Amino acid sequence: MKALTERLPPWLPSRVVIIFLVGFAIVFALPFFLPIPETLHGLMAQAFIFMSAALAWNWLGGYVGQVSFGHAAMFGVGGFVSARLLLAGAPLIMAWLAGGVVAAIYGLLWGHPTLRLRGPYFAIATIGVGEATRLVMTFWTSFTGGSTGVSLPIQGGSQYQMYWLTLELLAGVVAASYVLRKSPLGLSFLAIKEDVEAAGDVGVNASSYQDLVLFLSGLVMGLCGALYASYFAFINPGDMFGFDRSIGFVLMGAVGGIGTILGPVLGAAVLVIIQETLIASFPDLYLGLYGLLLVLIILFEPLGLSGLILRAARLGGYRPSASVAAGGLSSSAAKGRSPGAGPGRVLKEPPT
Amino acid sequence: MKQALDLAVSSLLLGGFYAAMAYGLGLIYGVLRVVNLTHGGVIMAGAYLTWVLFTELGIDPYMSIPIILVVFFFFGVAMYWGLVRFLPRGAAGGVQSLLLLFGLWLLMRNVAYLLFKGDTRSIQTSYATKSVNLLGTSVPVTRIAVFLIAVVVLIALHFLLTHTFTGKAIRAVAQNPDSCTLAGIDVERIYMLAFGMGTALAGLGGLFVATIFAFNPETGAVELLKSFVVVVLGGLGSVLGIAAGALVLAVAESFSILFMPSFLTAAVGFVLLVVVLVFRPGGLFGEKVLR
Repeated sequence: MKALTERLPPWLPSRVVIIFLVGFAIVFALPFFLPIPETLHGLMAQAFIFMSAALAWNWLGGYVGQVSFGHAAMFGVGGFVSARLLLAGAPLIMAWLAGGVVAAIYGLLWGHPTLRLRGPYFAIATIGVGEATRLVMTFWTSFTGGSTGVSLPIQGGSQYQMYWLTLELLAGVVAASYVLRKSPLGLSFLAIKEDVEAAGDVGVNASSYQDLVLFLSGLVMGLCGALYASYFAFINPGDMFGFDRSIGFVLMGAVGGIGTILGPVLGAAVLVIIQETLIASFPDLYLGLYGLLLVLIILFEPLGLSGLILRAARLGGYRPSASVAAGGLSSSAAKGRSPGAGPGRVLKEPPT
Repeated sequence: MKQALDLAVSSLLLGGFYAAMAYGLGLIYGVLRVVNLTHGGVIMAGAYLTWVLFTELGIDPYMSIPIILVVFFFFGVAMYWGLVRFLPRGAAGGVQSLLLLFGLWLLMRNVAYLLFKGDTRSIQTSYATKSVNLLGTSVPVTRIAVFLIAVVVLIALHFLLTHTFTGKAIRAVAQNPDSCTLAGIDVERIYMLAFGMGTALAGLGGLFVATIFAFNPETGAVELLKSFVVVVLGGLGSVLGIAAGALVLAVAESFSILFMPSFLTAAVGFVLLVVVLVFRPGGLFGEKVLR
């Protein structure tokens, strides 16, 4: 144990490794001990997919501060590439990985030019990316099957196995999130988020770091799309590339808490639950509910659900370190010199 | 040649509509440095209000322009007073305002779904299908009406911003709010006014949408994107810049059907946006840089 602790880098306390491994083992073994109903079992697999996707969105939106409204593009590309490969007879794992890699490359393709833009410019450009991709894919019927979609050759029993596959993906993504947040690399991302130009002055190459984040984010998005498609054994472009899909990723990240690790996981869980409970009775209501939630969160608790938890923890006497408090939407340093930072109330107090 | 002339006429008319639709977004961004993501939602709401006024009260769409402007002006003022003024502005606060206004848009879309269901609607006036001959091309009268109204509104705005005290104050705040405070301008009031005006213009854009297109609660995303393209293309310098940006977008979209399948038309604006943002961030005409 001692030897292990000494070999770990300083930003990775052994406590974190243990909590992570124990948590993973518990969730992994859960279906063997608890009689989880079939529907809940499947729902959890879906939730794991969306948790991974929300975390991957958060790498771009939360860590380097580039909010993307077009992540469904990668999600869909991953799904369709894997579907086509499966239909061509490729083994499952190969098809999924290929879906992820192609999605990541596609992400770089549009991301490399657009990531030079910052903030709202990038965000709106990504709406364009998402819409353009959706249009092209909907009309590219030989690849996506048009509005009728594509059925995947997946055996019936394998849906049950997806619980563990998606959990493994989630574990990998959570670990990657931690590394991308806490390692020296994460500090570079934070520098880019706070001030691109200043980051450049101290030798952080914003362009290539952002490309790297988008590549990784696209890779996970593609994998999620591929797993999602395999889970349902059917995909259609309207579902995979729709604007609502992209919005979903933004909402999971923002409602849970942008820039945190716990946040997107919570946000995805809440979204899946709300979707499941509301979709039967009020199919149109859940996005509006989420919109309302988003407005309230930005106004009162910019760190979202994880901010609420942090608040509760503070009441209980927990004092988080500055690095925990440095997550969130906007940088404290840049607030003072924003051109229009007029008399409006400042929402988030700077980390102390 | 005939086809080129047809396309030229239709893109000119489309350009007027784009300019009017985009101006609200540009005004709000120019003054408050906030990208109003509810712009698309307000356009959608404007279309529905026009539709309700027409079907329930029998008011002609073009007669309801003052109603739309007043209603959405106060809607914008309320939005500013109730939500936007609490947000940090500028590059650092961009993400917060972006997400909040986006949430509001989702909410508006959902309200529209609840009130009107998801089906597509359009306004069937007695003259909706009439067209006139213009330079040898047959052009729907509604398109011409929209174009003329858009031109009048843009000229009026230009006059307002350059020749009235309030307009000059708005432009001054856009340049430097801190100095305006020193000069005795109530900056908060100007912000509220600009937000109201921008929203009113978006509502007018919605009225235009209702008279020339079919619409549903999803309407707005494409309109927002196009408005943004126009603002970026034209720069924020003047009404003239916006008009030129709108014309460039309209021409690019209209003429693209000559050499690509028509479903790709919607992607033209996006490609234009990325190319301009990356290569000419100050807009096509190199005017004042937005950010």
